[in-house]
Amino acid sequence: MRDLKHLIFFDDLLQEANNELVRQAKKEGLRALGYTCYFMPEVLLDLPGCFSVRLRAPRCTSPDVATYYMSGRTCHYGRSLLERALEGGYNFLDAQMATETCTVTCRFQEHLQIMPIIENPDFFCEFTDVPFKKSENGREHYAKQLQAHVLDKLSEKFGIDTSDEAILKAIEQHNEVCRLVTEIGSYRKLDNPTITGHEFSTIMLVSLVCPKHLILPYLRETAEEMKKREPDKKPNWRVKVMVTGSENDDPGFIELIESCGALVVADRFCYGSLPGREEIEVKEGERPLEAVVRHYLDTGQCPRYMEQHEIRGRKQYLAELAKEYKVDGIIVESNKFCEYWSYERVANSLILPRDFNIPVCSIEKEYINTSVGQLRTRFQAFVESIELKKIQEGA
Amino acid sequence: MKKKLKKVLKDFWYGKPHGERRLGDLYIGNTGLYKHREWRGVKDTFYYFNKIWLYNYGGILMDIMRFGGPIIAVKGLLRYRWFGQTYLTALHWFDRGLEGMRGEVLRASAWHYRAMTCETIRQFMHMFRADTRLHGGKKNKWYYKTIMHDETVCGSVFYGYRDRMENIAMQLVPYFVTCHVNNHTVLHYIDAVQSIGLPGDPCPMCQAEAGLLVLDDVPDYSPVMITSNEACDASVATSVLHDWFLNKPLISMTQPMRFNDPLVHEYTMNEIKEAWKFIEEQMGEKPDFDVYVEYTEKYNELTKFEHEKWDVAANTPYYPINGVAQALYRIYYSQVGYREIWAKTDAKVKKILNKCVEQKINTFPMTRHRVLAWSCAPLYFSNWCTWAYNCWGLNVIMNMDSLMFDIVLRTDNEEDALFDLARYHEMAPMRRMAVGGHEHIFEIWENLERFNCDMVMMYDQLQCKGMQGIVGLFEDEFRERNIHAIWMPHALPDKRTVSRAEIRSIINDYMFTVMREEPLDPSLLDFDDIMSW
Repeated sequence: MRDLKHLIFFDDLLQEANNELVRQAKKEGLRALGYTCYFMPEVLLDLPGCFSVRLRAPRCTSPDVATYYMSGRTCHYGRSLLERALEGGYNFLDAQMATETCTVTCRFQEHLQIMPIIENPDFFCEFTDVPFKKSENGREHYAKQLQAHVLDKLSEKFGIDTSDEAILKAIEQHNEVCRLVTEIGSYRKLDNPTITGHEFSTIMLVSLVCPKHLILPYLRETAEEMKKREPDKKPNWRVKVMVTGSENDDPGFIELIESCGALVVADRFCYGSLPGREEIEVKEGERPLEAVVRHYLDTGQCPRYMEQHEIRGRKQYLAELAKEYKVDGIIVESNKFCEYWSYERVANSLILPRDFNIPVCSIEKEYINTSVGQLRTRFQAFVESIELKKIQEGA
Repeated sequence: MKKKLKKVLKDFWYGKPHGERRLGDLYIGNTGLYKHREWRGVKDTFYYFNKIWLYNYGGILMDIMRFGGPIIAVKGLLRYRWFGQTYLTALHWFDRGLEGMRGEVLRASAWHYRAMTCETIRQFMHMFRADTRLHGGKKNKWYYKTIMHDETVCGSVFYGYRDRMENIAMQLVPYFVTCHVNNHTVLHYIDAVQSIGLPGDPCPMCQAEAGLLVLDDVPDYSPVMITSNEACDASVATSVLHDWFLNKPLISMTQPMRFNDPLVHEYTMNEIKEAWKFIEEQMGEKPDFDVYVEYTEKYNELTKFEHEKWDVAANTPYYPINGVAQALYRIYYSQVGYREIWAKTDAKVKKILNKCVEQKINTFPMTRHRVLAWSCAPLYFSNWCTWAYNCWGLNVIMNMDSLMFDIVLRTDNEEDALFDLARYHEMAPMRRMAVGGHEHIFEIWENLERFNCDMVMMYDQLQCKGMQGIVGLFEDEFRERNIHAIWMPHALPDKRTVSRAEIRSIINDYMFTVMREEPLDPSLLDFDDIMSW
């Protein structure tokens, strides 16, 4: 396939948190707001006057100082974020909009609260409590929390307009990003997809880490480009897979899987698009904040949801995605020391083959792409096992 | 010669004084088991034999008769591994915790052990009585009148049903209590859950809990399950396995993480109401507010006495409860909620406490350092404080888990009562300090002052992400405040990660090299008890 025009630029944008577009937005006088979790609605951080940056720590292979503070027995992602913060990589942030949605990222964000790490006199870190259920009680709670800890704080500290009109405007912009990313991602559903998992992952990530108004023109252009993009006549993949699991913001990991012959056509992991790039619908009579609350609670597929039907529904959701994206197998990954996904991975790797007849490759990985040789062997073996299965089934 | 004889007679009558004892010589090599019991002087030895050893064996038999009878107990013994492996080791658990104790400390601490034993028997006998597995798959009346819940859902939530129904925590006895009594038991469960693909790094308590389910070693004693997000990510994640393996109607009674925020309490109150509604839908019973009030008021008396105990512990040397008895009893009764046995025990202990204060009895006379134990303790070596006092004179005055649930609950009207219950539940074990913001775990500094402690035993639970995620800030603060802190690595129920001998060795090293002190009982410095219960 012909290279996408902006792919190298996108790739450059992912090399550091304070990227070219972030610097440009700061020059425009916008406030940069960091966050780590899907449960901190990015749309509320993209109100006029500010922009969201979902934090990453690319190329952080050795978080030595962070390991002193958080020990070597916590998730590499959380430690890498702290290391990057200690290095000064997040000094551009004006605030960190935090959630205690997993222990280690919570502890990372608490370090930003306690220690004078971020060299920005305006900087503050504010926590929002996120419910564990999609119930009415959960919704009311979440709405109160977002109002008090996000909207009121932004208004109080930076004078941001948090009116319904401003939120609607942010939703409009957010929806355009979602529409474009979803459109680009939809080419993964083709029998012979015209986009690779690595390319899509790069595009998805830039939409999370760049100011929306600055990345939009590039996304529009890429979406147009995709309409005319022709697939390779002879596909260079052998099977199609979905990746599901814990935090993954490294397109290199997807590239590694694809180098083994498995095209990644669906991304159900933290920082992925399923869910993540669904448009927010504001129903008639509904306040924009209520729509945001409903949207983020309802679309979330995080293993911290504890309702019985949600626990079971997550497996069903994966099975439906597998059908929709025509995948041959699912790679279930969890970052080392991630407790949510350790358990979810066990359940997925046993239930999906048993109840849905979907082959599963279950792996544990680090935040940064290490142990490449071992992982490659696992992925190659998985691809071969699916091919063998197909032969046995007479496909 | 006369002097020597006098000394021998004195030692016989009163027992050897602390500093001259060689308790380590009592152990059979490589086992940690005793060659013979400790001679504590005539009075205390006979007290131990009659009022602790014999009394408790008798008590165990009586409790079994009282709570269901020997037939069902034997059926349970043959069916459940955790019971089969612990019924014989119970009195050794007493021995380990009460080693070297004398006088009022021996008595008061032993009453705590007795109460925990009695409540444990009540719980497992009730589970067996209602268990479909022990009744040929039949669901009897007990089954339909028992609520199964996560051990981190506190018993007080079910006070409103106590006149008609029973509530029993699913894992409390099968692995949490049994691990203290026989630390080998739980290893099998940890291995079981890892055998289905769980990595070794999540919290081993949750692993053990999940292992019970994998091996189908939990009695099936209720039509429902109420689970919780307490205390950590692994507890949340284990619910996936609860659902999968139990395969029965389940509700999660979740709590907010940032519980200092005044905006969150309504959420907790509604969650409790939802759990009650679930019980009504599934079991046809509603909570009765009058019954709730009755039990809460009784429970409040326990809390008030706890405050009295803390006051004595903090401000005098007359506190007659050793570190392990204080910690286990407090976490047990506050989690389970009011039971008659706790009130009876407190009445007995109160008499002893009053006597110590009135007569100014220095209960731990060889105290060199007053220790605050912080974070979560090793279950397989909860009696380390007994060892540390005997060996080094380290007297554990208070521990973090004891400070949870520190609320006297209001009962004047339903709304206030529910609000307080919500607050109470938010401050459950491990949550109270470990989640909801660093300021909670850093309450250590106030408590060091409050309990007049000069040393910290910092539990370093290697698989606790919440604690591991903040170790550096503790180190910085210890240095800044010039506080002696010993980091005690452990893995809660899994002794294979850090053995008891390694824990002792770490404490010994600190005491020799940093504190430059000599042991009170050198025979306890190093011994191999890896095979011990």
